[in-house]
Amino acid sequence: MGRLGVLGCQAGSLAVLLLAWEAAVRTGVADPLFVPAPGAVAAALGSTVREALPRLGDTLLKALLGYALAVGLGVAGGLVIGSRRFVHAVTMPYVVACYGVPKILVLPWIALILGLGTSTAVLTATLFAVFPILLMVAAGTRDVDPTLVTAAVSMGATRGQVSRKVLLPAVLPSVLAGMRVGVVFAMLGVLLAEMFAGNRGMGFLMQRMAMAFKASELFAATLIVSILSIVVVLSLEHLNQRLSRWR
Amino acid sequence: MTVLAWRLGILVVGLGLWEAVAAPLNPIFYVGPSALPGALLQMWRVPELPNLSEHVWLTLREIAGAYLLAVAAGLWLGFLFGLRRTVGRVYEPLLAALYAVPSVIWYPSLMLFFGLGPASKIAFGFLLGFFPIVLSVLSGVRQVPATLVTVAQSMGARPWTVFRKVMLPSMASTMAGGLRAGLALSVVGVLVGEILGSRAGLGYVINYAYGLMMTREYAVLAVIVAAAVLALDAAGALVEARVKRWAG
Repeated sequence: MGRLGVLGCQAGSLAVLLLAWEAAVRTGVADPLFVPAPGAVAAALGSTVREALPRLGDTLLKALLGYALAVGLGVAGGLVIGSRRFVHAVTMPYVVACYGVPKILVLPWIALILGLGTSTAVLTATLFAVFPILLMVAAGTRDVDPTLVTAAVSMGATRGQVSRKVLLPAVLPSVLAGMRVGVVFAMLGVLLAEMFAGNRGMGFLMQRMAMAFKASELFAATLIVSILSIVVVLSLEHLNQRLSRWR
Repeated sequence: MTVLAWRLGILVVGLGLWEAVAAPLNPIFYVGPSALPGALLQMWRVPELPNLSEHVWLTLREIAGAYLLAVAAGLWLGFLFGLRRTVGRVYEPLLAALYAVPSVIWYPSLMLFFGLGPASKIAFGFLLGFFPIVLSVLSGVRQVPATLVTVAQSMGARPWTVFRKVMLPSMASTMAGGLRAGLALSVVGVLVGEILGSRAGLGYVINYAYGLMMTREYAVLAVIVAAAVLALDAAGALVEARVKRWAG
């Protein structure tokens, strides 16, 4: 089956799903109060987009801030932990434990101390994104072939040259992989913080829609955020492939 | 030896910092670690808190339900997409796209649909646990060398024997990793669901203590749950290591 055939099958499956869904609501199998028909969601899409856009911008800005912090901390920490054997041995159990603990447990405390505003959401995003980035960068740094470094040094490369010409290209793939994973985690952190303790933003809006039983608007909002994050992740993947070709 | 000493040193410094920061601050917002052991001992008898054992039991049942559903659906769809190439080529990209969505945005819809009871938590825990399992089964099936399967079949091995003796050993490590990650995420899903909106369960009690500004009790609960989750994940790591040794 060719590329077009695959695309056709995907579109067909989605269409069948949507039709079955619409039929289930029309025939009364599903209650439109809880599961709105696709037609109703489409009708609500316009007004929801208008309501969602400014909040989405708010959410994305917070996610970007938290993400930038997480990338900075994660890459720096990962490089240090990955390149020093002793530091790796000492700190790794803590990093793995921090990675494994459900961050939702700390969220109430962050909200108590920082309140319901921007800083809570930003900090939560950082907390969600920093550990996966750190672990990936540390693993990538550790796996750099030491013979490459030795060879470069023995040929008279300076410290700066080794960092730029040997270490950077070798570590770059894991940095990029960590950054790609981090995006979704940062968005997740902001949305979760907004749902739990927010007074603005997309997560807050969605939680309020659920509480008010505005099912069509809620489904439309879910659709908007889903499409947005899929587009962000896919374009990062695209960028990643172009960068790896540059290498 | 020095490594252990340094690790211990970091722990002590960390706790000391936490205590030092907490000392001058209002205990309604910020409690130090020295307040925790005392609160821990009285935890089961705090009159303002709902009865803990019932809520713990409910949360455990929700996690078990969510994880069992995730394992069943993940294995089924993973093998379906992995073994039927065409089906896999059509649906795997859709699965990957869904995985790129920050999962928490599904929760309000689930809450609306299933209500505030255990069903919405089980559904969310299932959803989170499902993805790593199905993706690990998929990539596991791809790791099975096709020639080995062909050789076994041409020697007259029955499908079940091929699965047991050829496929399972070469995909077990990947699958065990996915099953472990799925368990961790099912736990997270149930906890997130309970904290975001529920009337019962461990997350509900945590949110309750937070809402009443019983920060000491909240901190104890959070530390206990974090420790329990880490212990569960450590047990999962042991099982995963065993499976890896068996698979070679």
